[in-house]
Amino acid sequence: MGALGKPIILMVAMYAFLKFVLPNIPGSAPLPSSLIFLYLLLTAGGIFMFETVSGESKDAFWNPIQRFLTGENIGGLQALRYGVFILFPLLVGWQTYGSTAVSDLPPTESRTIHPAPPGEYTGLSNPVPKTPDNIMQGKGFYAAYCSPCHGGNFDGKGPAARGFIPAPANFADPTTIAMLQESYLFWRIKKGGVGLPIEGAPWKSAMPRWEVELPDEWIWKIILGEYDGAHQSPRTWE
Amino acid sequence: MKPANRIMKRVLRDGTAAIAAMIIAGASLGYAQENVSVRATLLTGGVPVDDPGAAVWSSAPPATFPMSPQVHWQNRIQEVTVKDVIVRALHDGTQVAVLVEYTDPTQDPDDAAALEFMVGDKKAHFAHGQPMLQVEGGPVNIWFWKNKTGKALDMSAKGFGTLKPQEHQDVTAKGVYSNGTWKVVFARKLLTGHADEDVQITAGQFMSISFAVWDGRKDAVGELVEKGSQKAVSSWWYFRADAPPDYSGYMYAAIAAVLGLGFQFVLIRKLKKGQ
Repeated sequence: MGALGKPIILMVAMYAFLKFVLPNIPGSAPLPSSLIFLYLLLTAGGIFMFETVSGESKDAFWNPIQRFLTGENIGGLQALRYGVFILFPLLVGWQTYGSTAVSDLPPTESRTIHPAPPGEYTGLSNPVPKTPDNIMQGKGFYAAYCSPCHGGNFDGKGPAARGFIPAPANFADPTTIAMLQESYLFWRIKKGGVGLPIEGAPWKSAMPRWEVELPDEWIWKIILGEYDGAHQSPRTWE
Repeated sequence: MKPANRIMKRVLRDGTAAIAAMIIAGASLGYAQENVSVRATLLTGGVPVDDPGAAVWSSAPPATFPMSPQVHWQNRIQEVTVKDVIVRALHDGTQVAVLVEYTDPTQDPDDAAALEFMVGDKKAHFAHGQPMLQVEGGPVNIWFWKNKTGKALDMSAKGFGTLKPQEHQDVTAKGVYSNGTWKVVFARKLLTGHADEDVQITAGQFMSISFAVWDGRKDAVGELVEKGSQKAVSSWWYFRADAPPDYSGYMYAAIAAVLGLGFQFVLIRKLKKGQ
């Protein structure tokens, strides 16, 4: 079984590497099973090509497989052979059942968290100067209008937040306002949940459309207060 | 042959155990989704359309949904009495009943609750189908119950300020208050003849549902604290009426397994002959 042993070991090692080693490399993440399957398929294809490149290696590769399947002179492996014969049809049946069964899971939602803003809201700069006074005023407006959901600590954990999915944005999280420009915040605050484009579906955002209640100047001040309070800086074009 | 037989038995036993493990894992996955969707269990015989205390409700899995004050539109409030609703549903292929249960320390004439559904294929914002600025959304169908009237109102809306009772009233509701808990059952036929204003419930299909509750208590000067847009709301969740059991999956699996077995048989015969 020598010619067959190496490929089996290689496949198992490849699987173990993809499943357990790769996700632990810094900056990596667990691989989806479909990707692991694809990589294993490529590995198997490579092994197959390598083993069948010459007549001798082909025989050395195929003969043990044939011997195993026909059960000739395989001694103790006979039990494994029966096991394979029983499990293979069961596996085929199981796979078929899984692919035809009606899913119990609700439809998946592929919401774009930060959809592109309309053209008129790109690249606007904050017309309100970043002075301590303006920041303080912005924080006052924030406390009155935003903090019930986004939280007094700018962490998205306000008292009114609990029922809302998606949860109100946590501004202290570096993946929210820190990677957005001020003009983007201006758009989101002005238009709210109902201003989202189609990519923002399923439109569960409870964010108010503040343009009906607050003047633009207040919104720009709130943006100043928000960045200052959350200890973040807006993204800029360097 | 004896050892081979013993080994066969072992293989069979281990195989059965592995398959049982997969089935259990699959079943627990199915259970885990219940807090994002309401599952209307299929019954034979009538659903308890006017009995929130009926024993049969225990056969419907409960799902709990968190509530928030309505903040999307003015007038808003920042605090509400009801923090969660527990929802169960039953259907019999003709009628559907939805039981909403929540804690409320006092029974007041203005206590009220509502269900909201999207109507048709177009998506709608959960705040009364408030118009989206960049996309055209659809209307919503609201089933509203109030303690003091003791009945349901079947309503339509497409944005705040457009809520109105429908011409055809298809919904019934009954609320029972006991030990600080409201249990309100809403009922309707799965299908009505008015697909443009009523949600049409097709068994097996996921649809969107959301909830609203008003605590009808009054403040020190006798004003209602929660009224109109000042209420507890939920986001959109899923609702699905169970489809009748379908065993065709088992049949397809059995056919596939037999084909797999046949393939093995032919392959080995060919290999043996070839040698």
